Amino acid sequence: MTTEIIISLLAAAVQSGTPILYATLGEIFTEKSGVLNLGVEGAMILGALAGFMVAKFTGSPVIGFLAAGVVGSFATSIHGVVCLWFQGNQVVSGLALTILGAGLANYLGTAYVGLSAPGFNPLALPVLSEIPVLGKIFFQQDLLVYFSYCIPFLMWLFFAKTRYGLSLRAVGEYPAAATAAGLNVLLYRWVGILVGGFFMGLGGAYLSLAYTHLWTTNLTGGRGWIAVALVIFAFWRPGRAVFGAYLFGGVMALQLRLQASGTQLPSSLLLMLPYALTVLVLVLSSWKKGSSDEPGALGVNIEPVD
Amino acid sequence: MGYGIAVCNPTCRAGEGLIMSTAVPPLIRLAGISKSFGDVHANRDVSLDIEKGKILALLGENGAGKSTLMSILAGQLQPDKGSIFFEGKQVVLDTTEKAIGCGIGMVYQHFKLVQGLTVTENVFLGARGGFWLNWSKMQAEVKELAAQYGMRIDPAARISDLSMGERQQVEILKLLHRESTVLIFDEPTAVLTPKEADNLFLTMHEMVKRGKGIVFISHKLEEVMAIANNIAILRRGAVVDTVATKDVASTAELAERMVGREVLLQVDRIPMEPRQVVLKVAQLSDELLQNVDLELRQGEILGLVGVAGNGQKNLVETICGLKKPKKDCIKILGAEWKKFFSSMEWDNVLSYIPEDRQGLATCQGLDLLDNFLLTTRQGFTRGPWLYREQAREKADYLVEEFDIRPPNLKAFAWQLSGGNLQKMVLAREFYRKPRLIVAEQPTQGLDIAATEDIWNLLLNAREIAGILLVTGDLAEALALSDRIGVMFNGRLIDCFDSDDEEKIAQIPQMMAGLKEQASGAGR
Repeated sequence: MTTEIIISLLAAAVQSGTPILYATLGEIFTEKSGVLNLGVEGAMILGALAGFMVAKFTGSPVIGFLAAGVVGSFATSIHGVVCLWFQGNQVVSGLALTILGAGLANYLGTAYVGLSAPGFNPLALPVLSEIPVLGKIFFQQDLLVYFSYCIPFLMWLFFAKTRYGLSLRAVGEYPAAATAAGLNVLLYRWVGILVGGFFMGLGGAYLSLAYTHLWTTNLTGGRGWIAVALVIFAFWRPGRAVFGAYLFGGVMALQLRLQASGTQLPSSLLLMLPYALTVLVLVLSSWKKGSSDEPGALGVNIEPVD
Repeated sequence: MGYGIAVCNPTCRAGEGLIMSTAVPPLIRLAGISKSFGDVHANRDVSLDIEKGKILALLGENGAGKSTLMSILAGQLQPDKGSIFFEGKQVVLDTTEKAIGCGIGMVYQHFKLVQGLTVTENVFLGARGGFWLNWSKMQAEVKELAAQYGMRIDPAARISDLSMGERQQVEILKLLHRESTVLIFDEPTAVLTPKEADNLFLTMHEMVKRGKGIVFISHKLEEVMAIANNIAILRRGAVVDTVATKDVASTAELAERMVGREVLLQVDRIPMEPRQVVLKVAQLSDELLQNVDLELRQGEILGLVGVAGNGQKNLVETICGLKKPKKDCIKILGAEWKKFFSSMEWDNVLSYIPEDRQGLATCQGLDLLDNFLLTTRQGFTRGPWLYREQAREKADYLVEEFDIRPPNLKAFAWQLSGGNLQKMVLAREFYRKPRLIVAEQPTQGLDIAATEDIWNLLLNAREIAGILLVTGDLAEALALSDRIGVMFNGRLIDCFDSDDEEKIAQIPQMMAGLKEQASGAGR
């Protein structure tokens, strides 16, 4: 009986951790190129709306999902223009993107509030879902969750084993060295911003196409900010991001379940849990800073020569 | 073309010149390069040849235009006039990639290495090739390349774990791996220990043997004499002289050619009568230092020599109040350390002239007046108000007296050359009339004229102060000090008068830890 509850809670943790995982991986990718993008929340919510609308009109959740990624890239390209073309302040630009994204999505989505769209439904994988315990937790989810399992590995492969991953990391660590090596540093930062934005958009779409099949205002509810904090918790490593995302997903799922079970605890306190955990996680990870892979030039603009 | 072969080609000498200049085109030929920034002519009509298998030394004072010339070669700056030839063909180097394409590689003073990456990753950064990287193959390649040039380095080590000398090797490996044919070294020995410098010279010899062309920028005349085939001397942006090293009789002659006047590398030091004790350190120990004793009196300079990293930094930081001693074992101007720093006045006390003149001594983004006020502002305040006009008058006077260029208080610290910035720091600190001066590598990276100015300033300061001079340059210590202390491994090995020839002869052994004289240290 209790194991049943725990397993279902863990499965829910994976599900509610997935949008955060997409967003965190996107932000890791962007930050690895040396750009700090605090506009994750904005890119996510625009992605969520785009995914929802495209799925509704085309009837295809897959097209909606991809469209969300493209819109995410579009959203973060604003950040690219400000920071890469005009050497604007990365913190301010990111905050502006968050505010703009939330405002724009809520405005454009007003007519769709409460409507539903075709989305992704759980799809038990043959064989794998038969594994005791793990099968139920990890392999009775929807397609987007399965897709998210591959990304951390692919991202690690890219960073560690490919020429372009090495170059991207170097651009984030010390752009002057990358320039001296003949690399086009701005190009790599554009790639960092746009690919990162793509994943943030996907994270948003997960919320509107799989987690719910609905559009509501403020659908992302601060998950973008949690992703920003998780990047630090993950020490900028895609693998660690998985644990962080599921930890937060777990707290969110637990909080919902506690509310549903009619606990005496005030609901506002429960709703606060994930955000309180964010603060805790930030404090804890700043303790062990030595072992993190924080990019050396994170948040520092590349000034044009001359 | 508007340039003369006989001038631009350093090897063109009477008799052989005409034949040689037509035989093989030089790897890189600069012809009539001019570049100005506003009113400042950084380079005027510079013509140089960089030849295969030769080391060309570039000598010049700070601000003579060496760095501008190098930036032009690296494709970072465009010349206003003049042309560049690569193996006889004219090229336009308007991007870094193009300069790399012509085989030009730079070893900068500040290494362009990614700290968080490994040696191999840095070497292969920006290299062409397939999508996937094969680490074991790449590491083997780096190891083999290093071995070819007599370098020993672990290809899997992270840059942040390496010594300065090893980092420079990585920088060189990067260029060799890229098959650069022209390697430009910007003051490469400034950060190296003497042994590392010797290794570097061996590597350079290996490189010229394999047909590379080398440009060697340095202030150290002995090094230039020892290693270069040809020497080009830059003064105020123009090449004033190109000579073959074998035609130069002595470093003194070279120095004279460089500054255009006789340089007194030996300043006149008239010993003064030491007066009251200004600093007393008794049995100072910390994680690095072991029982350091020393005493310093007004009117004398105590030169502290040793290879960097043997405790000098900790000692200086403790004396200057940046680091707390474990127990009260330091007396400054007669007061205990704690008491002294809790009630320190701004004048007539302690001045610290740090090694890091751009980080610790000045704020790069502030103008000269604000930098002047950094340590002297209390002299210009009444209650909460700061009297800037008064300060401006004083600072204007100091700028003139110390000959700081540009003589403009509105100039930012980052706009000043190293020598002028250091003079500004000294002007500021001497204005406080300190009674104890701690000067750390005060002339590092400065040209001869600036070094001479600073030496004289320090010697004159003995009138009012006792000076602790921490330096890595033995010649400097010998020229200035009344007494010399040698540090090794956190200990003050010995301390003796600077006219004790016998002890002076032993300094290298003491610095290397081969000779220990425990007793009598610090008087």
